[in-house]
Amino acid sequence: MTVAAVIVDTHALLQVVYVSLIAGVGICIVYAGAVLGITRAQEHRRGDRPREAALYGALAAISLALCGWAVVTGIAVMATK
Amino acid sequence: MHSDLLIILVIATALAFDFTNGFHDTANVVATSISTRALSPRVAVTLAAIMNFAGAFISLKVAATIAQGIVDAGEVTMPIVFAGLIGASVWNLATWYFGLPSSSSHALIGGVVGAMLAAHGTAAVQLGGLLGKVVIPGVMSPFLAFAVAGLAIVLTYRLVARLRPGPAGRGFRYGQILSGGMLALAHGTNDAQKTMGVMTLALIAHGDISEKHFAVPGWVVVGAATAIALGTYAGGWRIIRTMGTRIIKMDAAQGFTAQSAGAAVILAASHVGFPLSTTHVMAGGIMGAGAGKRVSAVRWGVAGNMAIAWVLTLPAAAAVGAATYAATSIFGSGVLGPAIIAALALGALLATMIRRARDLAAHPAGAKP
Repeated sequence: MTVAAVIVDTHALLQVVYVSLIAGVGICIVYAGAVLGITRAQEHRRGDRPREAALYGALAAISLALCGWAVVTGIAVMATK
Repeated sequence: MHSDLLIILVIATALAFDFTNGFHDTANVVATSISTRALSPRVAVTLAAIMNFAGAFISLKVAATIAQGIVDAGEVTMPIVFAGLIGASVWNLATWYFGLPSSSSHALIGGVVGAMLAAHGTAAVQLGGLLGKVVIPGVMSPFLAFAVAGLAIVLTYRLVARLRPGPAGRGFRYGQILSGGMLALAHGTNDAQKTMGVMTLALIAHGDISEKHFAVPGWVVVGAATAIALGTYAGGWRIIRTMGTRIIKMDAAQGFTAQSAGAAVILAASHVGFPLSTTHVMAGGIMGAGAGKRVSAVRWGVAGNMAIAWVLTLPAAAAVGAATYAATSIFGSGVLGPAIIAALALGALLATMIRRARDLAAHPAGAKP
């Protein structure tokens, strides 16, 4: 364990693990939320349920905004590394 | 005069390696999008090529750190760079021939390490740096991408479980265009910079640039960006088929989660300075997205062949790099040795291409999608 810790920067390695998990799983859930929101909003609009359509539309809008933020953050990470 | 011819040869070899890098790694970026029909093959490789080209201009910091902490940069000479590049290119082309996705970055590091070992012995290679910066993160990365993509696909399926497959699939296919674009951008900025760094090391060895004022010349940036973009556009269709259809039969949600997990792992690792392989990460992500749906959905035999290629990459590229350095040394330290090796390599490449074209003519099913 001590030898491994000397050879590899364990702190950086752990950082990669948790950042990857949070970012990777997070972006997939958020985008799935956008897909869910858009699809359900369309279904409710066709079914003449404007309130539900608006709620799902808001979910889609927030999810897409978060995805956009994630893309900008990703490009910023590339530019500053 | 000899030195000028040698630097031209080294730069040309670096650009040729960069082309094989793009050619070999196209699959990492486009295979899932093509497999799920998010994009047509030609549109996918065109988009990837454009994003690779753009990515090469985003940052130059990786270029300045190439081989840092792995080999003694002060001992690097032009014949060593040449031999390292030949080692990496030969391994890239061999794995392409057999349709095996393997790491171009590890091949480059292996080639340079092998040439350094042949030139200066073990003292010029920092084993701790090689293990800590390349081998351990390289072993860990596919498992991490596997876990991220596996967890992501389980949660994604739960969220969209009650949606009709048509609209949901369409939504994820749009998402794949974005996640694939991000991957291509990350690939361009990572891999093109490695070639830029190697070319700049050669220019330092030639005396064109001062070691104390490391700066990548503009023509090196444009040259590396163009070579990797052209290689990407040419497309390594054999590896695309392996990554896109032979590991798992994927749907659009799996393609999106594999790409997103891959991009997250690569960006997180790049941020802390680990030169991860896009190939290892994407293969791990694709397997994770498959196993998250059903463990038996992954063709573990194909995955095993890929793992063998990964284990062999560093030593095999190092062996070719060392052998190339030894062969060029027979002709002295001038341009003659590298020129003969370059001519032989070019001949072998043409023979491989002709054989491959004959294979395709004989078995059209193996042609590009």
